[in-house]
Amino acid sequence: MNRRSRQALAALVASGIGLAACSDQVASGPINLSKGVPVGAVLALSGNANLYGQDQKTGLELALASINGTGGIGGRPLALSIEDSGSDEPSANAAFTLLINRGVLALIGPTLSQQAFSADPIAQRRGVPVVAPSNTATGIPEIGSFISRVSAQSSVIAPLSIDKALKRNPAIKRAAVFYAQDDAYSTAETVIFQQALTTKGLKPVTVQRTQLNDQDFQTQISAALQQKPDLIVLSLQGVDGGNMVRQLRELGYRGTIVAGNGMNTPNIYPICQQYCDGLLIAQAYSPELQTPANQTFLAAFKVAQARNANARNLPARAIPPQLLAQAYTALQVIGDVLRRLDQKQPLKTLSVAQARTALMAEILSGTYQTPLGEIRFSKGGEVIQKNFFVAQVRMDPGGKTGRFALLP
Amino acid sequence: MDAGLLQQMLLGALLGLSVYLPLRCGQLSLASPGFYAIGGTIAALLSTRLPALGGASATYPISSVLLEMGLAAALTGAIAAAIGSVVLRLRGIYLAIATIALVEILRVITLNLAITGGALGIFGIPQPFNGPEGYAFFTAALLALVCWLCDRLERTRPGLAMAAIRDDELAAASQGIDTAQIKLLAFVLSAVVAGITGVVAAHFLNSWNAKLGNFDASITTLAFVVLGGSRTWLGPVLGGLLLTALPEVLRPVGDLRLIVFGLVILLGPLLFPQGLISPERLQSLGRLWPGPKRLGRQAP
Repeated sequence: MNRRSRQALAALVASGIGLAACSDQVASGPINLSKGVPVGAVLALSGNANLYGQDQKTGLELALASINGTGGIGGRPLALSIEDSGSDEPSANAAFTLLINRGVLALIGPTLSQQAFSADPIAQRRGVPVVAPSNTATGIPEIGSFISRVSAQSSVIAPLSIDKALKRNPAIKRAAVFYAQDDAYSTAETVIFQQALTTKGLKPVTVQRTQLNDQDFQTQISAALQQKPDLIVLSLQGVDGGNMVRQLRELGYRGTIVAGNGMNTPNIYPICQQYCDGLLIAQAYSPELQTPANQTFLAAFKVAQARNANARNLPARAIPPQLLAQAYTALQVIGDVLRRLDQKQPLKTLSVAQARTALMAEILSGTYQTPLGEIRFSKGGEVIQKNFFVAQVRMDPGGKTGRFALLP
Repeated sequence: MDAGLLQQMLLGALLGLSVYLPLRCGQLSLASPGFYAIGGTIAALLSTRLPALGGASATYPISSVLLEMGLAAALTGAIAAAIGSVVLRLRGIYLAIATIALVEILRVITLNLAITGGALGIFGIPQPFNGPEGYAFFTAALLALVCWLCDRLERTRPGLAMAAIRDDELAAASQGIDTAQIKLLAFVLSAVVAGITGVVAAHFLNSWNAKLGNFDASITTLAFVVLGGSRTWLGPVLGGLLLTALPEVLRPVGDLRLIVFGLVILLGPLLFPQGLISPERLQSLGRLWPGPKRLGRQAP
């Protein structure tokens, strides 16, 4: 046993040394173009954020079809690999590292801001451009020079829905706030909501804290309803938020409900059903935008929906959700930039590292016609977008499906 | 193999050892992620708030990491000694519940303290190494050290006393073993291992938050020991390495990978109730291949 244990230890140390000897040889080599121009995406397809990842996957697939249907990158197709990051940080790190080692030129993702704080520094250290499709927390592009995002931060968007609620009903006097105290997105967004309320002279009469994995909110709701609120502001994610709305209505609340970006997905319909009706949510995307880029996107979305609905016998969604449009935009930006770069310097003449660096410079210097409207980036990688909107959820009479109706 | 994955596997093995130590003397403690979280929080706080630790060079000095590990070991050890002397009076499932409560209390405290960044946690943790290779090397050395200490422990008096307590606590006590002290020793060692693992993990993950040391992590780390075996230190090391690697190795399977992962966790204990590694299995393997060269290959 003694000798065996020593040998086991020696093997362990040896394996460590062996691995430490390997270095990043992918970056200095040429780009592997045999299957197309390699780009990676890391999405939350499992875990509690999977509602978002599914929408994002559809968005990326639509953008991929559009890019490759219009000539790809200088005649070569764009090869997109999508990896699941779960909803936690170690998995996001592993997926980022995996794709970077495979030699992708750029990365899209990860889905959650909390994952981005952990995984983005890896891309930054290895010099790989990241375009985040859905990170809304403050401080994401500040992680480094290779990090950018197409999702406007919540401090810009969140207050708009409160303005709209007050415009529609100026009599609102008592606001109640709910947020999940163990969730990064919720705690960050509720600060912005509470500041916006206070500036409007509506200091919250109660702030109720929940947990991300809670199902039952009766205690918090009862406590809040005793304060007789006429506006309820939620910073919750899809599943807990959907349950919260349902229970609020079931327990007799009739006033306005404003929800944050976490509930900005049609995947909440099956959870709160007819009770989703009337929910106000600020939007970074408007399906009614009359630009060629948006019309192309909408047409592609309708075709895909019809095919999907036939295959699964589901009612087709009328309009694409924001997360889907943002994911489409992220890949479209990368596609546009790759085309520009390929014309300036053919990709086959560049090493992976050169292409990554050149790509990042191109991303920040361009202006893009996207479904979100015309966008460009600040020097730090923050998205500069012109228009934001507020939508109200309108459920069909059966409560099975509904839509985000933009408010004028 | 990718060094980043190897690093996560090595961290898994260290956490497996942390759960293994109390289990070796029959104590089902699920507190390891709590101490892991304390270690991670100490590293995150010290390295982001104390510029003096950063030094002059671009990378964070290893000496500061070692200092953090020392502090984490002292603090987790002290907390474990204080808490352990009370909760170790509980046995079996009651001890498990008390340790789950400890993990929960620590999580709620972390969530509600401004200094630990609430739910967002602490990010921008400086890096002592330029890539995962450096981390893997450092952690492999750390794991080797902990394994060596465990190996020594198993063959000295306290380790034998632990095995005696696991087999029959009453009989062990009647032989003059101070069972309370030995159980406390195992609990404190487990906390120290988890605490120093947390320090390395915080630097490696770039960010640290309350979610990393929650109840889910308790169950995952327990699975390392259940699959690997709880009779000798090689078991949890193998379990930690295997179960951390599996979800990543299974990526080519696509959407089915989490189902396959679940099946492995289910079938492992069914087919190997004692875990993959038990002293008897090691001995029979030793008889089959007596050559010293071959023996080395059994290592994880």
